[in-house]
Amino acid sequence: MKRNYILALAAALLVAPATYGQFAATGTTNLSVTVSAEAALQVTTSTTTLTAIGTIFNPYTGTTNLTYKIRTTQATGTGSVTLKVTSDFSPANGPSVATPPTAGDALTYTCTGAAPATACSGSQTASTTASTSVATFGAGASSANAGNSASTVWSLTNDPVYHTGAYSATVTYTISAT
Amino acid sequence: MVSIRAIGSCALVTRFTRVAAALVIAPAFLLGASGTTTQTLSAQINAIGKVSVPASLNLTTVGTTFVAYSGNLTVSYRARTTSATGSGSLTMRATADFSPAGGPSVASGQLTYTCSAASLGVACSGTQTASTASQTSVVTLGASLCTGGGGSCSAANPNTVLSTFTLSNNPAYKTGTYSATLTFTISAI
Repeated sequence: MKRNYILALAAALLVAPATYGQFAATGTTNLSVTVSAEAALQVTTSTTTLTAIGTIFNPYTGTTNLTYKIRTTQATGTGSVTLKVTSDFSPANGPSVATPPTAGDALTYTCTGAAPATACSGSQTASTTASTSVATFGAGASSANAGNSASTVWSLTNDPVYHTGAYSATVTYTISAT
Repeated sequence: MVSIRAIGSCALVTRFTRVAAALVIAPAFLLGASGTTTQTLSAQINAIGKVSVPASLNLTTVGTTFVAYSGNLTVSYRARTTSATGSGSLTMRATADFSPAGGPSVASGQLTYTCSAASLGVACSGTQTASTASQTSVVTLGASLCTGGGGSCSAANPNTVLSTFTLSNNPAYKTGTYSATLTFTISAI
C-alpha cells in the first residue's frame, strides 16, 4: 500500500511540470499552430439573369462572379473550382440542361480568373450529372487574404421552341484544396 | 520479611557521588528555578510577483474555412504590492516569432489577444496586439494587493487570468506547423 502511494506521488510530480511551469518572475509558453490546406468561395452574384441582346434568337448571356480563398499544400497540393447544375431549369417547356428540347441546346460557359488560378479553357458545357471545371490550382498556391476574383460567362441557347416565361436553375460552385 | 544487606563504606561513597552529579546536571526547572527571556522577531515584507504558464498552447481553427486560429491560455500568478503607493503589472512579449519562415508572424501584427477574469488586478482591456519588440499588458496591479488568504487579499491562490489568443488565417501562409515563444513577466513594487 505504502509503495503504491509513493508511486502515485512520483507520477504526480512527473506530470505536474508538463502542465504548469514553476512560479517565477517570468514564464514562457510555446505557441504552436498547424496550417493546413483550405479553400472557400463566395458567389458574389447571387442571381444571374441571362438576357438576349441584339439580333433575335441570339443566346441568352450573363456573368456570375465569385471570390475565392485558397491555400494548397507545398509541393504536392492541388485545388479546383467546379460547378454543377444542381437544379435544372423550371418550370417545364423552357430550356433544360439535362433534357434539352432540341439536340444541341446547351448551357455553356467560359471562365476568367487570374493567377494563382488557371481558368478553364475554352467553352464548357454545364451538366446536371457531373461537375465541370472553372479553375484549377497547383501546389503551394495561395490567394490574397481578401480573396481573388473569378467569373463564369454564361451562354444559353435561345431555342424558338421554348415557351415564353421566366425559368430558373441553380448552379452550385465547389472549391477544394489538398 | 526483612532483608538486611551489608553495605560497605566504599559503596556508600559511590552512591553519593552519583546523586550529586544528577543534581548538578538537572534542568533548572527541576530544581524549582524560573526565568523569562524575550526575542525580537522582525521580517521585511517586500512587494513581489511570480508567474506561471502552461508549457504550450496549440492554436486551432474549427468550422468554416479561413476562420482565425484561436486558443485560451490561463496564466497563474501570485503578487503582493506595497500599501498605498505600490503597483505592478503582468505583461507579455513574443520572445521568438513563429518559425519556420513562410507562416504567420507576430512581428507583422497577426497575433492578438484579449484578457478576462483576472482574479487579482485589472485584466487588459479590448484587443491587444502581441509584439516581438515591446511588452504588452495582460494584468495591471494596483496598490495594496496580495494573493491568497482572503480578507484584504484575494481569496484565490494562485490568481489567474484568461488570455484568449487569435491568429489570423491568411491564405498566404504556407502549410505546415509553426511555433513561437511567449514570455510573461510580472513585476510588483
